[in-house]
Amino acid sequence: MKDSASEHTLSGETFGLPPQQTRLEEFWSQLRKNRLAFAGLVIFGFFFLVAVVGMLLTTGTSPVLDPSLVRLQEKLRPPLSGPNLESLLPEEVPPLRVYLLGTDELGRDVFARMLQGAWVSLTVGFVAVGLAVIIGVFLGGLSGYYGQNSIRVGQVILVLLALWVVLGWSGMSGVYLVVLAAAAVVVLASMVLLHRGKSHGPFAVLDAQLISVDALITSLIDIMLCFPSFFLILTVVALLPASIYNIMIVIGLTSWMGAARFVRAEFLSLREQDFVTAARALGISDWRIIFRHMVPNAIAPVLVSATIGIAGAILTEAGLSFLGFGVPPPHATWGNILSDGKNYLFDAPWLTIIPGLAILVVVLSFNLFGEGLRDILNPKLRERH
Amino acid sequence: MTSDPLLIVNDLKVYFDTEQGVSKAVDGVSYMVRPGETVCLVGESGCGKTVSALSILGLLPQPPAQIAGGEVLFKGRNLLELAEEDLQSVRGREISMVFQEPMTSLNPVFTIGYQIEEVITNHEGVSHKEAEIRILKLLQDVGIPSPKERIHDYPHSLSGGQRQRVMIAMALACSPDLVIADEPTTALDVTIQAQILNLFRELQEKRGMAILQITHDLSVVAGIADRIYVMYAGIVVEEGSVWQIFRDPSHPYTMGLLESLPGRREKGQELATIPGTVPDPTMKPSGCPFHPRCSYFQESCRDQFPPMCNFGDDHLARCPVIHAERIA
Ligand SMILES: Nc1ncnc2c1ncn2[C@@H]1O[C@H](COP(=O)(O)OP(=O)(O)O)[C@@H](O)[C@H]1O
Ligand SMILES: [Mg+2]
Repeated sequence: MKDSASEHTLSGETFGLPPQQTRLEEFWSQLRKNRLAFAGLVIFGFFFLVAVVGMLLTTGTSPVLDPSLVRLQEKLRPPLSGPNLESLLPEEVPPLRVYLLGTDELGRDVFARMLQGAWVSLTVGFVAVGLAVIIGVFLGGLSGYYGQNSIRVGQVILVLLALWVVLGWSGMSGVYLVVLAAAAVVVLASMVLLHRGKSHGPFAVLDAQLISVDALITSLIDIMLCFPSFFLILTVVALLPASIYNIMIVIGLTSWMGAARFVRAEFLSLREQDFVTAARALGISDWRIIFRHMVPNAIAPVLVSATIGIAGAILTEAGLSFLGFGVPPPHATWGNILSDGKNYLFDAPWLTIIPGLAILVVVLSFNLFGEGLRDILNPKLRERH
Repeated sequence: MTSDPLLIVNDLKVYFDTEQGVSKAVDGVSYMVRPGETVCLVGESGCGKTVSALSILGLLPQPPAQIAGGEVLFKGRNLLELAEEDLQSVRGREISMVFQEPMTSLNPVFTIGYQIEEVITNHEGVSHKEAEIRILKLLQDVGIPSPKERIHDYPHSLSGGQRQRVMIAMALACSPDLVIADEPTTALDVTIQAQILNLFRELQEKRGMAILQITHDLSVVAGIADRIYVMYAGIVVEEGSVWQIFRDPSHPYTMGLLESLPGRREKGQELATIPGTVPDPTMKPSGCPFHPRCSYFQESCRDQFPPMCNFGDDHLARCPVIHAERIA
């Protein structure tokens, strides 16, 4: 009955195979069709380009545009005003001979500062939100899919041992590590044996059921939500060396709960759908079902919340910088330009409007792209455009 | 046909823990499928057909389900004792399944070609190109017109009947030895039903796989089955060949089912029905579960669980009353 070889010896020519279109090409052509999403992507690409160029122009010992050059006599100049050439030293004159976006309360060129801040602000937004989405989808997916399945005592011990080894890697003596690693191997081996043989040896206690996956993850979510996240971030940042990457990671690690809850809720209903049972009946593995089959069906609300999360992350970074935990001054970010500018809201509105607009446009373009992505991922929605 | 059985389900018991108590959805079911034959499992909705099929492949979530006993021997291996990884290589490659609802059994976000390909590449290391050739052949075999164009279609652009054909193509992608079809035509129009059933027969002639057809509709069974198992309230009440079941039904429930077929009544006469309803699986009647609805009821039926009685030539039924009558 297993003569699949002889049965499938037909050649491609029999059918005249259509030109192959990889999934990436298909994705691209769908994106081109969806004008708003494409526009979002273009704007977004433009901002990244600006950020990279800005970084090149504003770093180094004698940058083309110096964002930290203080000209006290030129403070709070409106956008497009020219510099007062008489009172400035030649090297203080901005290279374009105009303050394109005005100056701030210390007479620093806002255009230069916006360029300098673009990279940090964009990466903060995307790295933090990207991390939050990844963690959220992962935990939410596990919680929604495995739901009532229990976590066993052995698995908990295993994770604790592994954490111990990883965290104590530098501080522990070799003997200790070897003992811990050996213990982990013994626990793992006996769990595998139990799983296979269903025997009841002395290790049977490892197989005892502790709590359900869902209960564990939802209580983790609830615990995380209990803390005001800004103070959680402050605490962690105070313990870590001040670096913008640490900030991104910490913001990401403290803002995944929304995504996790969305994904869990979607998964609870998706799990009961026939296509999930059908995929299981055809031998597809759990991981593939979760991340390949269910996530695309559950991603829409996550993308929407992620777009809002980007703005939030940019502003959180601003708040941290304002308190002296974020990017140390004089390095500019959109967030700290914005929060410095709010003191001059009436005298110099451009100091808040310009970074505010920049954040708005980035968020909007990502929002358009996210909505397009949702439509592309869900073929039923495609026809609407 | 006297070859070794492919699948033996032996005294399978599947219980559910529910708030109302233990629901004995499948309570000691035995059946057997030989290579290349079509076996039908017939019974009213709720009698445990789907649960027994799902537990063959280990697809029931445990809890709430709980395998309370029995064994499922496939090619001599007890599937109930296999580890999940080993089961995954059985599913789709050696045993596959077609479900009742074609409208929701395909993932809406992938093309049908991709979904079939996934099954193939999941079990066999073949290249994309090879897989695509096989997919086109499969789609042609299951009667999808112009497969070249349809291979990049998404499920929502297909009709119910076409989706069921795609599901069948997925089930056959790795040439399994056994296909379990759980009411594959229930959700379809009558004309499409006949087409799908014919398709199963054609495919079986071509590929020689065994089919376990599950249905609640006895009229579907006559044309396709080699052997029939009639289920009621979680047990098998009668088994035999199509001929034996239709000509010589030996359990009151089977008789009732046959009488209620629309084709059997005289014109103008009302449709015969079986009085009463299917028992709640948490509170089954004692003795013979059918006794409250049975016209052959005797006092002994109330407290004695009926044994399988032999009516000759592998024709078995759980009704000692009729058995005694026939012998006498
Ligand atoms: N997840 C579940 N939880 C509790 N009871 C269930 C569950 N699934 C099925 N059952 C019970 O099992 C019995 C048999 O169901 P099923 O096998 O689906 O019937 P059918 O013969 O129509 O396919 C039903 O009475 C149903 O109440
Ligand atoms: Mg059913």
